Amino acid sequence: MKQNRHTIYRNAALFVALCVCALAAHLGVAQAAPRALASQSPGDKLDIRIPLQDKSVRFAVIGDSGTGDHAQYEVAQKMEAYRQATKFDFVIMLGDNIYGSHSARDFAKKFEQPYKPLLDAGVKFYASLGNHDDPDDERLYKPFNMGGERYYAFRKGEAAFFALDSNYMDPKQLNWLEQNLKDSQGTWKICFFHHPLYNDGRHHGADADLRGQVLPLFQRYGVNAVFSGHEHVYQRIKPENNIYFFVLGNSGKLMTHDFGATRERVKGFDTDQSFMLVEIAGDKLYFQTIARSGETIDFGELPRLHP
Amino acid sequence: MGLTTCRKWLSLSLFSILLFPCAIAQNGDDGAVKEFQSRIDNYIAAKKKQDIAKKPTDSPSKLAQEKQQTVEKTRQARPEAQQGDIFTPPITTYFKKQIESTLQGPEGDKVRASLRHAEPLPNVQLKVNAKYPRNLPLQSMPPTLLKNLPPLPKELQYRIVGATLVLYDVASGLVADFIPGAVPAA
Repeated sequence: MKQNRHTIYRNAALFVALCVCALAAHLGVAQAAPRALASQSPGDKLDIRIPLQDKSVRFAVIGDSGTGDHAQYEVAQKMEAYRQATKFDFVIMLGDNIYGSHSARDFAKKFEQPYKPLLDAGVKFYASLGNHDDPDDERLYKPFNMGGERYYAFRKGEAAFFALDSNYMDPKQLNWLEQNLKDSQGTWKICFFHHPLYNDGRHHGADADLRGQVLPLFQRYGVNAVFSGHEHVYQRIKPENNIYFFVLGNSGKLMTHDFGATRERVKGFDTDQSFMLVEIAGDKLYFQTIARSGETIDFGELPRLHP
Repeated sequence: MGLTTCRKWLSLSLFSILLFPCAIAQNGDDGAVKEFQSRIDNYIAAKKKQDIAKKPTDSPSKLAQEKQQTVEKTRQARPEAQQGDIFTPPITTYFKKQIESTLQGPEGDKVRASLRHAEPLPNVQLKVNAKYPRNLPLQSMPPTLLKNLPPLPKELQYRIVGATLVLYDVASGLVADFIPGAVPAA
């Protein structure tokens, strides 16, 4: 008798739960824009693989993020959890920051809402332009910190950053890049832009023409690390000419099982979204790539190869 | 006049005859480039008369509002604009020649690969003074190709859509002009 009553209660509870789910689906709750998710609960332990040294430069990296989909929000939630633990204070964006239309609603759904906890904590975002971005709207959007320009440079501690517009690498931009790399006093020179120079992904592949134009400048003026997006996967590329290359185009979009033969990559990840944490301290660059699930998929310590 | 001098004059004459078509082509190219630059200057001057000064802002609503105003003012500046107003037939010939020679040049394979690796676009119907479809990506321009085309002011950019070369007005997102079939098939 007791067993029967238990079964009845359980079935009733299941029925009520199903009704609530059906009603929610009917009202479109499941389709609604995801909101900024609550931060990691205090009980969850984070796997931190960067050293968190005093006076180091710490930042996060995202690429191809601006979908407004649930996956982007989940990556953003993980970023906030890691920000609380690692105190990174800026993020570089590798392009395709806002997919599709660029209405005020799109900026809210695809940038302001997912990264609200980070923005509220004073984290600065530095954007570069992808092929899905509106070059005019985004360069003028203050939270992207582009200063009204398609390409620009900024400095954080010992590191100099160069945000390039790889959609339109005209002679004027190449001259600007050469002059700014030449004049830079940064001990670390880091370039970031959308189109990868090396890439094992099958969807887009590497941009060999772009590589032919910018790589000689990177070599001549001692660029140390390059971050790109576009291919919707994560890749750490074999160092070329004393430069480290990363491809991270899966902080919102994802192209599962995209890899062809291993030619350029040391490590690849194409089964979930991810973001990166980077710490620069002295002559070392530490990195950690974290999947949406929270799993660390790659990490390491890289010495500065250029003097 | 000695035999040596005669030979010299003969060689010089033959050399000049051989160079003559090149010189004509060079002059033709110079003329096309000059004409193109003059048309671009006129475009920018007409635009500037009506331009609104945009400044960085925190407000995406303001950006959208200013974009709409820019679209209207750019259209008002050239209400009768048609395809070929900037890319006249001689200018079109020059551009096609430049693109073809880039594709056949030492970096041609890389340029073609760069175009091939771009995001696939559906059949886009282009029209002067119409908006480039906002939901479609903009094709990146191979840097080697940009080096071989006349420079543009920052208000305008070249873009490739399929085999069409587009003159893209950055602030408004409007098509200023285009050359169909500018990129020859591989």
